[in-house]
Amino acid sequence: MNAMKVTITVDEKPFEVDAHLNLLQACLDNGIYIPNLCYLEHRSPPQASCRLCFVEVGGVDQPVAACTVNVADQMVVRTDTPAVRRLQKSGLRLLLSVHHVDCKNCPANKKCALQDLARFLKVGLKPKHLEQHLKEPEIVDTHPFLTYYPNRCVLCGKCLQVCRSANGRAMLAFAQRGFDTVISFYGGAGSAATACDTCAACIDICPVAALLPK
Amino acid sequence: MNKDLLNQEAFFLDELPQRLENYQSARSQLIPILQMVQKAIAYLPAKALGIVADYLEVSAAEVYGVATFYNQFRFNPPGKYPFKICLGTACHVKGGEIILENVERKLNIKDGETTVDREFSIERVACVGCCALAPVAMIGETIHGNMAPSKVEGLFTRIQIEKEMAEREKQKNES
Amino acid sequence: MSPDNTQARQQYDALCQAAEAKRAAFEQAPVPKIHIGMATCGIASGALDTRAAFEETLKERGIAAEIHSVGCHGHCYAEPVVIIDHPASGFPPVFYHEVTPGKARMLTKLFLEEGDPRFEHVFGATVENEMIPTVMEFSRFNQEKRIVMEKCGQIDPESIDEYIAAGGYAALVQTLGLAPDQIVATIKSSGLRGRGGAGFPTGAKWEMAAAVEADAKIVICNADEGDPGAYMDRTILESNPHQVLEGLAICAYAVGAGRAIVYVRSEYPLAVRTLRTALAQAREHGLLGAGVLGSPFDFEIDIFEGSGAFVCGEETGLVQSLEGQRGMPVHRPPYPVEQGLFGQPTVINNVKTLASIPPIVEKGADWFRSIGTENSPGTAIFSVVGDVVHAGLVEIPMGVTLRTLIFDICGGIPNQKAFKAVQIGGPSGGCLPEALLDTPIDFDSLTTAGAMMGSGGIVVMDADSCVVDVARYFLDFTQKESCGKCTFCRIGTRHLLDILERVTTGEGREADVGQLERLSADIKAGSLCGLGKTAANPVLTSLQYFPEDYQAHIEEKRCPGMMCRSLMTYYIDLDTCARGCDACVGVCPTEAIFTTSTRKKGVDQQLCVKCGECMVACPPEYDAVRKVSPPGLAPTIERPDTPRKPEKP
Repeated sequence: MNAMKVTITVDEKPFEVDAHLNLLQACLDNGIYIPNLCYLEHRSPPQASCRLCFVEVGGVDQPVAACTVNVADQMVVRTDTPAVRRLQKSGLRLLLSVHHVDCKNCPANKKCALQDLARFLKVGLKPKHLEQHLKEPEIVDTHPFLTYYPNRCVLCGKCLQVCRSANGRAMLAFAQRGFDTVISFYGGAGSAATACDTCAACIDICPVAALLPK
Repeated sequence: MNKDLLNQEAFFLDELPQRLENYQSARSQLIPILQMVQKAIAYLPAKALGIVADYLEVSAAEVYGVATFYNQFRFNPPGKYPFKICLGTACHVKGGEIILENVERKLNIKDGETTVDREFSIERVACVGCCALAPVAMIGETIHGNMAPSKVEGLFTRIQIEKEMAEREKQKNES
Repeated sequence: MSPDNTQARQQYDALCQAAEAKRAAFEQAPVPKIHIGMATCGIASGALDTRAAFEETLKERGIAAEIHSVGCHGHCYAEPVVIIDHPASGFPPVFYHEVTPGKARMLTKLFLEEGDPRFEHVFGATVENEMIPTVMEFSRFNQEKRIVMEKCGQIDPESIDEYIAAGGYAALVQTLGLAPDQIVATIKSSGLRGRGGAGFPTGAKWEMAAAVEADAKIVICNADEGDPGAYMDRTILESNPHQVLEGLAICAYAVGAGRAIVYVRSEYPLAVRTLRTALAQAREHGLLGAGVLGSPFDFEIDIFEGSGAFVCGEETGLVQSLEGQRGMPVHRPPYPVEQGLFGQPTVINNVKTLASIPPIVEKGADWFRSIGTENSPGTAIFSVVGDVVHAGLVEIPMGVTLRTLIFDICGGIPNQKAFKAVQIGGPSGGCLPEALLDTPIDFDSLTTAGAMMGSGGIVVMDADSCVVDVARYFLDFTQKESCGKCTFCRIGTRHLLDILERVTTGEGREADVGQLERLSADIKAGSLCGLGKTAANPVLTSLQYFPEDYQAHIEEKRCPGMMCRSLMTYYIDLDTCARGCDACVGVCPTEAIFTTSTRKKGVDQQLCVKCGECMVACPPEYDAVRKVSPPGLAPTIERPDTPRKPEKP
């Protein structure tokens, strides 16, 4: 089947892309990097929760999250305007302000999404103006096979999504609310958790090594 | 600690699977079910969450995730006299926080906690909707308007008197 | 072609006749009637005790009278409110305020038995007459324009017959005789905008939902009133639930839905109970169920009790929670009107929006447009609280200025204090100064000023208030109520709160104002849903209109309103303190007040929790307790080593 194609212009270069794609996917497919954390490719609808994939689209006066916009013919996109970068940097600094920055001792060191973002956006890993907030406890190990590090977690939610696809139901869930939100495997000691012994979907997908095998 | 109360809880939990039969086994019933449990025993014990999860065929983590999202649900039992201090806008402006501090000081527990004997608990609530009476405190469902720090003591005296009266009534009936 | 509603009309006429006969029997009964306001605010003020006192005294004295429980009049400052209609006395129906049980017993004896209405307690008559001035002479009454709340306080909310006898459900019958697109057209041309806060045109919303092809559609009444200072939705549901249900039915008919849900806060037990009664009665009367009033329109309404999350007022969050999920908003589009609850097209309207529908259908779009302003027709309901004489619910035509609302209608600031600010629109709204009091109240003017119509909560602040503290209060609320999904709202609001806490406790830094501004702008631009996008409004407006207050807190460690407890203190002026007086000692919750060597009083600053009770207790003839900010201004009064025992009385 021949999918409908449209032409979009990103940073002054034209691209021909599938008409049903969202803008973030279309850019990633064509090798244009847009910062993102919560986006799982080719899964809809996107969560749009990390608020990093901002771009400017012609005709819209504010930056928009690329994962929430469908491509359209003759769409003109800019990925690196000052307004876009300001929001992305601000968002990353916020994430870092609740992140226990201890790269030396972190298994994600050198393959960490936050390090990549910081390098790309030229943001220091230790934000100067924001107070650091860390959660208690530092390590949650109530699960028979998994260990969770709340102060590494960026709450992208990818682990929940892959767990649901792998097991039919998510063994992990967001718990609490707002600033106190964590990933919880409440009831994880139960019989249902045996699947976790062999499945490591959540560990593999985690961009910051917040979930590790025991 | 009240033994009857604990028995009542245990009895309810034994019965819970049957009671759930009145609800469709659909995710959309989750919140109404949790409300039903809390209405019956005033909080959501871990065991209840497990039973509900099994019935709805979702993981316990998902049930816990939903329950912890909403202000209504609590995971420790409230006191027999639950103090709810309104910290809505009008009450804040008129010093609701000071009322809260007074009750906390008096009971020596913090907001969200229950005294060891399960007699009292303190909760901060958002607007109970009688702003013209601010600041407002509630004990159970009874609203006490136009509160002042010096009136807090009076609330406890009143509970004490009511208790003594009930005690005397009980003795009279027994003799 | 319009559908035939003859049968519906016939059924309705029969309902009307029965209802009117009932009302006539009640009205013509040769006994006095006592109408008592029994909504939550009335009950909180003691209306249950008042009613019991009436009942008891009537029985004791063998007086025949009817007690009639009605909803809320909106006059919260006057609760419990009682209207006594005693035709045999020759007086018109009389409105009494603050009727305590004692007053109730007195009125039963002196007015009902002896025919003396006790003029000193009368608030006003409710109808024109030659003996008693009417309540309409008060601006709190005559400047209001009631559409939504017209019947609130007039009828018994638990009696569908009283609503029908007052003309209720006529609009639904009329609707059943029109094609759905005619109804949509009427609502569109009325210019009605959603009363939930953002002001989206209701007719346009209905039109979109009507246009979607779907097997099933659903309409939802959003009664998840989460603003911590607003309670009009609760009052309407408790005082006149049928007007909302009728609006829901008309909406469902217009968009082609067969099912509706009322999403109401479970913290409103009386509203939930009143709604359940109303639904049962509507069903009994054939106004709900298969074939409403014998027409082909099938319609069901369910109640869903919201579990307490401010973010569920946002429509996608609300839909999530109805589906049994955490109430975390999702990106729009798709809008709920295209794809909402369980994927069905879903129209979500606020209580006030729906209650506006029956009058519009009945009286027409032009009538509605004649009220209010060009771009915001109709009325607005506000709960006016804080430092204001006549606090309560007020329904006014759009376009009235804030000054008129606060100073004319609500009686201004009590205790001859000066006006400082008004916070309008709750946690999403803004804090406006005196210079903006002439802003007309409508969706667009308020947004231009940086505030928002929001949920309609208005907090009036006098000179002894602190705008920085109020901004901190709202951020504390929004931060706690943030769903935690998106980065900016989850973490950004926490940092805003951090900074505001610093500022209000005297730890503010020079760079804090700039930091607040930048962070607020980013949260506004970066957040996913309406809650996050508007969360910084209280900060941005207070920074814009009251920069000097922030400066005082940060640079001088001084709170101009003397509200921030870390930045102020109490002391006792030894020149005016009366020797031997102990008034303040007894009320101090922490025993912080000691007796000086001259038998006057001093405040132990270590023990003092700054509750201000001593200031209230100090007899006005001495007026010796003083507040100062910054605390360093208080003179030091040493506590004597061996405290003197308080004098025996």
